Amino acid sequence: MDRLSRKFLRARKIPGTACSGCGLGQVHKRILLAIEGLGLGKDDLVWGTGIGCAGRQTFNTWLGDNFAGTHGRVYALAAGLRMALPRERRIVLTVGDGDAFGIGLKHLLNCARRNLDLTVIVADNLGFQSTGGQYGPTTPPGAVTDSSPYGLDEAGWLGPDLDILEILRAAGATFLARHLSLDGQGSVESVKAAILNPGFSLVHFIYPCVTHFGAVSLAERDKGRVLAWFREAFGDGPGEPGGGAGEGPGPRVGTGFLKFGRGVFHSAPGSRPDYSEQVKDWTRKMARGQGGGLATGNTP
Amino acid sequence: MRRLFDTGNAAITEAAILAGLGFYSGYPITPATEIAENMSRRLPPAGGYYLQAEDETAAFHMAIGASLGGLRAMTSTSGPGFVLYADPYGWAIGSEIPVVVVNAQRVGPVSGITGAPGQGEFYLSRYPTHGGNFETIVLAPEGVREAFSMTIEAFRLAERFRTPVTILADQLVTDGWEAFEVPEGPGEAEALGLPIPARRAHPGPEFYPPTDEIDVPPVVLGRGTGGACSDWTPTEEGYDTEEVEAQMRHAFRLVYKIRNNRGLIDRSELLLMEDDPGLVLVSYGSPSRVARSAAREARARGLRVGAISLKSLWPFQDRLFPRHRTHLVVELNRDGQLVREVQRASGGRVHFLGRCGELPTVAELLEALGDVAAGQAPRAMPGARESW
Repeated sequence: MDRLSRKFLRARKIPGTACSGCGLGQVHKRILLAIEGLGLGKDDLVWGTGIGCAGRQTFNTWLGDNFAGTHGRVYALAAGLRMALPRERRIVLTVGDGDAFGIGLKHLLNCARRNLDLTVIVADNLGFQSTGGQYGPTTPPGAVTDSSPYGLDEAGWLGPDLDILEILRAAGATFLARHLSLDGQGSVESVKAAILNPGFSLVHFIYPCVTHFGAVSLAERDKGRVLAWFREAFGDGPGEPGGGAGEGPGPRVGTGFLKFGRGVFHSAPGSRPDYSEQVKDWTRKMARGQGGGLATGNTP
Repeated sequence: MRRLFDTGNAAITEAAILAGLGFYSGYPITPATEIAENMSRRLPPAGGYYLQAEDETAAFHMAIGASLGGLRAMTSTSGPGFVLYADPYGWAIGSEIPVVVVNAQRVGPVSGITGAPGQGEFYLSRYPTHGGNFETIVLAPEGVREAFSMTIEAFRLAERFRTPVTILADQLVTDGWEAFEVPEGPGEAEALGLPIPARRAHPGPEFYPPTDEIDVPPVVLGRGTGGACSDWTPTEEGYDTEEVEAQMRHAFRLVYKIRNNRGLIDRSELLLMEDDPGLVLVSYGSPSRVARSAAREARARGLRVGAISLKSLWPFQDRLFPRHRTHLVVELNRDGQLVREVQRASGGRVHFLGRCGELPTVAELLEALGDVAAGQAPRAMPGARESW
């Protein structure tokens, strides 16, 4: 991370304040490796974040331009920013599971529908961990958390019969992938493909939280054993389905809840237009047709 | 000048385009829908982008996202959408992002009456988000012509003060038809403060100096300045912090950049106030037009009455309301909002005449003025045991 940190991150925010055993740093590193692999520099992309562990930990770490939105609204903010920036300037958002799939889902789906050129990295720690460990939209069924003391019995977006990525595909997203923070080069390739896709991309990274999810839901504080549960629950390699039901090391949560494995879930670059570019194109045409120039400040 | 006969909504649209609007996003809602409709038709030929949002929260966030990217941006709504603006208002105020917001007030609470005028968001426009530690700038037009000129002023103020500027109109202003003039030549445009200089980006690396300065450009992203802004309490460089001292500096700037420069914001129209009349009608928005007629008529009948029409609401212009006068406040609600603020500012005798959904008549105001002059509460408030 040191080499990548020096190249891309602000010294003041590194190291972060993440808990011991947190997998968020690995997700962060995958994104930087992808940026490096694409040969992009600090002025090539604007980095936005949401609320929660994923947002707060990554906000203003990027050496270039940064912003953080209100909870769940960073997608709408980014939609407006997309209109102001030239096409070649990328927008990458690092957000959490609650931000993207809970409070912000409506805006996220509308960004997918418009196929706006945004790269959304959902760093998912399976619940609301920055507020102390409440269940969220991707918490596994049955999990005991601080707000599901008798075990979670509400269906989430990451269960045996519901998958948020299917919903995003149906909503019009043109690149979707799912990984574990432990995944290696395959996940870097997914982030690269997401950034290159001239439309709405989302990479769903599931990462371990030892402090809350591990300690409460898995009744396990040992980093190694928490990681082992994640490996089993989310399969061992790209494209493999989740492990067997109820066979994880933790006594409380089974590992067979996930229907889909890891890797690229959906890839259809160019299959749908990016609405922001459509609006810019026809606005330019209309303005030229009227013999007028562009309004003050609009990118040519 | 090009003379047009159209609605307040149309005047706001034309003015925003003249001011160099680069981005509009909105969501249809009576009685502000026409702004969105007019924008969708008029803005693209002028080179500005129109986006219809999935809801009002998104509409305002899109507008501030566009402003964050350097575009001159705007959104518009009515009461039910205005409450959904709470979230992005806070973000724009805290991150000091210029944007213009129009609220065409209708009758509430909740959906209320969609196509009738109300004035229920007087306080909501002062406190449009949670957390305190900020001042807001709110302008209030009383007719179509003023809706036009105020929209241009709103863009200028938003950029000078790096903050959202709210135009608190009402349904009679936005739906009403009147003649207004659009400048054509450079001289005419200059008289209206046009053109507004192009947006500038703060060069960094310190984005939030702990001062009350205005005319400092806001953070603009995508121009390689290393700009950073967020919903968190910022350090001068834009980092998020939990330090109380940093929050004190942040709050100082958000409050005093406005309080210390309020001379640029304060607006009012005073009628028949030269002889310091003991009885004064106070109003804003469309009721001001009836109030001034009533004041003139009262004078004709020998009653020494003046009228104060507020054109900027926040920061509140306390100095206009000395204790020695008696004030009769007229507004389009039955609970009394502006009247509370006048009472606080003056500390003297303050009476209230509230209507909702329609303007009071000149005759009703004359009767109320007579009542107040005789030392009693206005009879025009049936059922009310106290004047307010």
